[in-house]
Amino acid sequence: MNRPGDRAGGGALGSVREPGGLYAAPATLWLTVFFLAPLAIIVAYSFLTPGARGGVEWTPTLDAYRAIANPTFAKVTLNTILVAIGATAVTLVIALPCGYYMARSERQTLLLMLVMIPFWTNFLIRIYAWIAILGNEGFLNDLLRALGLVDESVRFLYNRGAVMLVLVYTYLPYAILPLYSTIDKFDFSLLEAARDLGASKLGAIVRVLLPNVKGGILTAFLFTFIPIFGAYAVPLLVGGTESYMLGNLIADELTKSRDWPLASAISLVITLVTTIGVLLLLRANGASTLGGPAGEASADGAAPEPAVGGAR
Amino acid sequence: MKKRMMIAAFAATIGLVASACGGSSEKLYLFNWIYYIPDDVIEDFTEETGIKVIVDSYASNEEMYNKIVAGGSGYDIVVPSGDYVSIMIAEGLLEPIDTSRLANFGNLDPAALARIGFDPGNRYSVPFMMAAAGVSVNRTKVSGYEHSWNVFDRSDLGGRMTMLDDMREVLGAALKSLGYSVNDPDPAHLEEARLVVERWKPNLVKFDAESFAKSFASGEFWVVQGYAENVFIEYPEDRRDEVDFFFPKEGVPMYMDSFCVLEGAKNADAAYRFVDYMLRPDVAARVADYLMLPSPNVPARALMTVTPNYGFDDLAAGEFKEDLGQETLKLYNDAWRRIRVGN
Repeated sequence: MNRPGDRAGGGALGSVREPGGLYAAPATLWLTVFFLAPLAIIVAYSFLTPGARGGVEWTPTLDAYRAIANPTFAKVTLNTILVAIGATAVTLVIALPCGYYMARSERQTLLLMLVMIPFWTNFLIRIYAWIAILGNEGFLNDLLRALGLVDESVRFLYNRGAVMLVLVYTYLPYAILPLYSTIDKFDFSLLEAARDLGASKLGAIVRVLLPNVKGGILTAFLFTFIPIFGAYAVPLLVGGTESYMLGNLIADELTKSRDWPLASAISLVITLVTTIGVLLLLRANGASTLGGPAGEASADGAAPEPAVGGAR
Repeated sequence: MKKRMMIAAFAATIGLVASACGGSSEKLYLFNWIYYIPDDVIEDFTEETGIKVIVDSYASNEEMYNKIVAGGSGYDIVVPSGDYVSIMIAEGLLEPIDTSRLANFGNLDPAALARIGFDPGNRYSVPFMMAAAGVSVNRTKVSGYEHSWNVFDRSDLGGRMTMLDDMREVLGAALKSLGYSVNDPDPAHLEEARLVVERWKPNLVKFDAESFAKSFASGEFWVVQGYAENVFIEYPEDRRDEVDFFFPKEGVPMYMDSFCVLEGAKNADAAYRFVDYMLRPDVAARVADYLMLPSPNVPARALMTVTPNYGFDDLAAGEFKEDLGQETLKLYNDAWRRIRVGN
């Protein structure tokens, strides 16, 4: 936020120099108390011995990390990664044209409202709505039977496909909003210039539009992938016997097996893996691109507003 | 049913607040399962004895236990399930109970008392209710089955059956189907049980303890393992005879919740009076009517006005779930994790 130009201007005002730290104080305090402190507790617990009936005993041990080396965990992790990558990819493929259309439309406010309408209804109720639609006795099967397309109802629910469908549905707005916000700031005359210079329609989009909205795509990816990676309720409610994900494993270790150190260790590994992944991704894209138009077009000091802030 | 309970709970809270303003000084602190004792029953106790009852509630044994261990003292009575009774005895959290001071203790079914392994001779606990999860079958969709766990071997019902997402209930069912105890500590027996569940698993839609009753009521699932009260709350009242709720003949894991007095309870006398009141046939019958469960209180059974979801004799095939101890619990956890994750 603090650009060199601002800093010079601030100097002239004297007493209000560098108020950023003060402005950020509530957020810093909030994150310290409700994010860093719990994280520290998780780190500490992961190195302790599980208590007889839940909780921990203050004997240091690496047992929890030894337990993670078990192939069982590798299997859940692999399943979680597959679901998260699949669902995120589908989400982005749907969100990108949607964001493009919204950015070019003249009724942006209306379209933005439409995208946000699902947030007005409780997340769990929306999952139950999917159960009512896709169930063996659900609306879709009723329709298929009424049309004579099937005799026996088709089992849409309680498998990995259903989990991915509902995850895509849930996180689609989180991908559309940053993409819309970034594409909205894209200078569409660049596309015309590309066409004038001989690029095909597709070529112009792939070689001019996409590199310029790379930051928005990255933000959309992170906003979708990270929550899906920790999904709990969706696999629990529409998943089948094989749709177990890391979020469910953590919950079960905490509440059913009552092995708090193991639950802590798994959470910590997820946090580490996501953090490292995000850092690598940012570095590969150039750290400044998160949320803003990327590439040479913006490198000339036009300093666009970050799309993330705009989307919120 | 649920709504009725909530309204009752709300009304009682108001009632308690109101009665707390009264003049009596004697008090009793009760830490109980949520929606377990109807509030008018507690109000009547206060009216009869002048003892104010302050109720706090919990939704799981773990929650109750953690609160007590964390120093949430001040409670006089708790109502743990059997496995937690034995844990709390071992941890020295309970006060011995002199059952000779309870005039109505003799009302309890001796056959039920004889089966208690978590506190033989009831030195620390006074039984309140006992129940078990069973199997519900939708009669309009399924026929030609036995009242046995082998219904889960029916591959033609694949995609229409669920079992609970509960380690003790599912492994307990498998252990019973093999003729073993639901508390069997033998790793070889446990491995056999795991293989039984693996055999059932392809026929199951999912392991579900959250929404199976809703989906059973809507006709989505045809065979579900679960508690009768969950199933019947969801099922349309006029079509209840479509549901065949049974306990498989091989036996089921069962629980008993008991009144216990906490160590160092300040109002022990009031606690004795309350437990004795709860053992009175008319009071026990009101509670059993409210829960639609059979009563372990023999004279109460004749006074019930609601037909319970199953009879007390049906529980003969049940076996109490007991505390497994750390080592065995770990074996159960590992087996259950392998089942849930898949191999």
